[in-house]
Amino acid sequence: MADIKTRDFSKSSAVSILDPQLRKALAQVGTGFDAARRAAIDEVTPELWDEWREEARQIKIHALEHLDYYLDLLEQNVAKAGGHVHFAKDAAQANDIMGELVRTRNIKVATKSKSMVSEELSLNPALEAQGVDVYETDLGEYIIQLAEETPFHLVAPALHKTKEQVAQLFTDKLGIPYNEDINGLAAAARTALREKFLEADLGISGANFLVAETGTLVIITNEGNGRLSTSAPRIHVGITGMEKVIPSMQDLAVFLRLLPRSATGQGITSYVSMVTGPRRADDEDGPEEFHLIIVDNGRSKMLADPDLREALYCIRCAACLNICPVYQKVGGHAYGWVYPGPIGAIVTPSLIGLKEAQDLPQASSLCGACREVCPVKINIPRMLLHLRQKSAESPDPSERSAGLVPNLLAGGYARLMQSPGLLRTSHKLGRWKQNIWAAMPLFPFTKRNGMIRKASLPLLSRWTRSRDLPELPKSAFRDIWKNELSKDKDVK
Amino acid sequence: MDRTLGIPKSEFLDSVRRSLGRNPVPPDPAYPRLLDDMSSLQEEAQRIRARLAETRSTLLDKFAEVAQVRGWNVHRTSNPESAMAHIQSLADSLEVKNAVRSDQEVFGQVLVDAPLEARGINMTTVLHGPDKSRESLRSSIIAADIGLTGADYAVAETGSVIVLPRKGLSRLVSLVPPVHLAIVRPEDLIESLDDLFVLRRLAYQENGGDMGSYLNFITGPSRTADIEQTLVVGVHGPKEVHLVLLG
Repeated sequence: MADIKTRDFSKSSAVSILDPQLRKALAQVGTGFDAARRAAIDEVTPELWDEWREEARQIKIHALEHLDYYLDLLEQNVAKAGGHVHFAKDAAQANDIMGELVRTRNIKVATKSKSMVSEELSLNPALEAQGVDVYETDLGEYIIQLAEETPFHLVAPALHKTKEQVAQLFTDKLGIPYNEDINGLAAAARTALREKFLEADLGISGANFLVAETGTLVIITNEGNGRLSTSAPRIHVGITGMEKVIPSMQDLAVFLRLLPRSATGQGITSYVSMVTGPRRADDEDGPEEFHLIIVDNGRSKMLADPDLREALYCIRCAACLNICPVYQKVGGHAYGWVYPGPIGAIVTPSLIGLKEAQDLPQASSLCGACREVCPVKINIPRMLLHLRQKSAESPDPSERSAGLVPNLLAGGYARLMQSPGLLRTSHKLGRWKQNIWAAMPLFPFTKRNGMIRKASLPLLSRWTRSRDLPELPKSAFRDIWKNELSKDKDVK
Repeated sequence: MDRTLGIPKSEFLDSVRRSLGRNPVPPDPAYPRLLDDMSSLQEEAQRIRARLAETRSTLLDKFAEVAQVRGWNVHRTSNPESAMAHIQSLADSLEVKNAVRSDQEVFGQVLVDAPLEARGINMTTVLHGPDKSRESLRSSIIAADIGLTGADYAVAETGSVIVLPRKGLSRLVSLVPPVHLAIVRPEDLIESLDDLFVLRRLAYQENGGDMGSYLNFITGPSRTADIEQTLVVGVHGPKEVHLVLLG
């Protein structure tokens, strides 16, 4: 599986939050993707949009409740169309299947269209170990492959790179003259990859949906690399998670309406490619072989847990990333694995274990924006809370996110908030201390406009590292009420 | 026939059932959309076709409008001769040297070969036959400045052209050349994605359960915004796409 750096969440987010270049790139997520999504919904009307969301959700609920039935039906129909379905329980098995396919068919060059599952499995290193040159062909994926990084965003993997960085990367890796014109960079990638498409024996794709009724793999793309990868090489292998299956071809309509609008605000993408088996005898071209690898890799655990099953409805549109106040600050790499953002904070601990990723469910203000934008109405905040609870109550200390001191503090805080007398006393004490400190020569706070910008006290200093803390007001509301407001006749 | 790699299907499905906490049972009640038999799909298709026939002129307007928004250069014309004139002037302005086209019915209506060849353009037609080598076909497509195709459907809801596999239609003609031109006839027009999938489900049943190897939606040019969220048109597919709408 892909390298897991989820334990470093705290450290990496502290670094990325202060990176001015990431700030700029992430600010565009709201003005770009999310604004486009909102405009697209206004165009179809929010009422109709909500009907679509509910319809899609019901399809996902049904498909997952009967996943065994639909996977069986899918396999039969892929086989009927002349394709082969292979089932993998984990990443190692999925990579072994691919390894066996490339060995027995003597494959040397492969092109790949965008697939998050292949990132999850670390398929590229596995193929390279078999002596296969594998080329990512989605422009964003190609950039991060050259840079030897992981995707920063579900839809736009190289979102964090500036055009200058991409230009330098292309100069270093492709040996072309430095040119920071974005059109020129895309053209350079087209030229470099066009050659590979025609040379490749194997085209690898993911799947956005699998239609059980007909045995059809559906990919939704804008660049045309998906079509080329599934048309030009002599073998096409689709690789995807088992949750992607939907019952009928007619179910696809609503998802084609929801996914592009949620992801990029497009009414539809440039290409939707539906592949059913290999080329037929009468076809002029197309792959001679079609294989589909269906991967579990921890998904059956999510299916079994009624509190987490909902996360399998996800169609990877990234709308929850684009709206998330935490993702917009820390970016994709801080999440430490393949799936970032609010949905990643659920999928990652579910797939790799809470022990590795107990910090991720904490990385949310629980504002609920992710749930509101989700095209299949996934209740992300509920699951984040569920994982937090699981982590707090786990008998295994390595699954707990907080140590002894924060736990004691949280207990103390709960106690304080439940006792009006204690709360009042603590506020008085705080205000008194605040005034005393203000008079001291070595003032432990840096203040501006009534906000504490930097505190040099234990714990408080961590809080103010990346945010300001308001000062305690001169008087508490309860005092204002007692002394002034309650005497106002109008209020009574 | 390949042996199945990985774990056997039965073992995989058993593990899914353990997660679901039940025995292998089909969905109850059965999924309504999977219950349709051929006659109910035929009835539905008939209703769709009747509606389309009635609303065709409005649909043509809607399709033209949506397609334009999605990035097609739409040219509407009432007869094949003016369609041909448009294609010729386009070929002139693009300075086309090599063109490739599919062997679809619509080229029996819009006769492009002779006029384009008369302009000195090297025309290749994808012809079905065992003699035609795949490699030489491929190199003609790669060399082409423009690829011309018909459409199996045109979807007004999305502004998409749908292409299906058929004799004389390479997958690459609409994809590899830098310019793609599609000719759409009024009878290709359908209203929505729902229409499309009902008609394809019917075709699936009528063909004895064969979907055909692909169904491609093409909607506007190839594009990306992967660098700094800046739109670039023409990455791996065509940079420029034209629709000639008859009727």
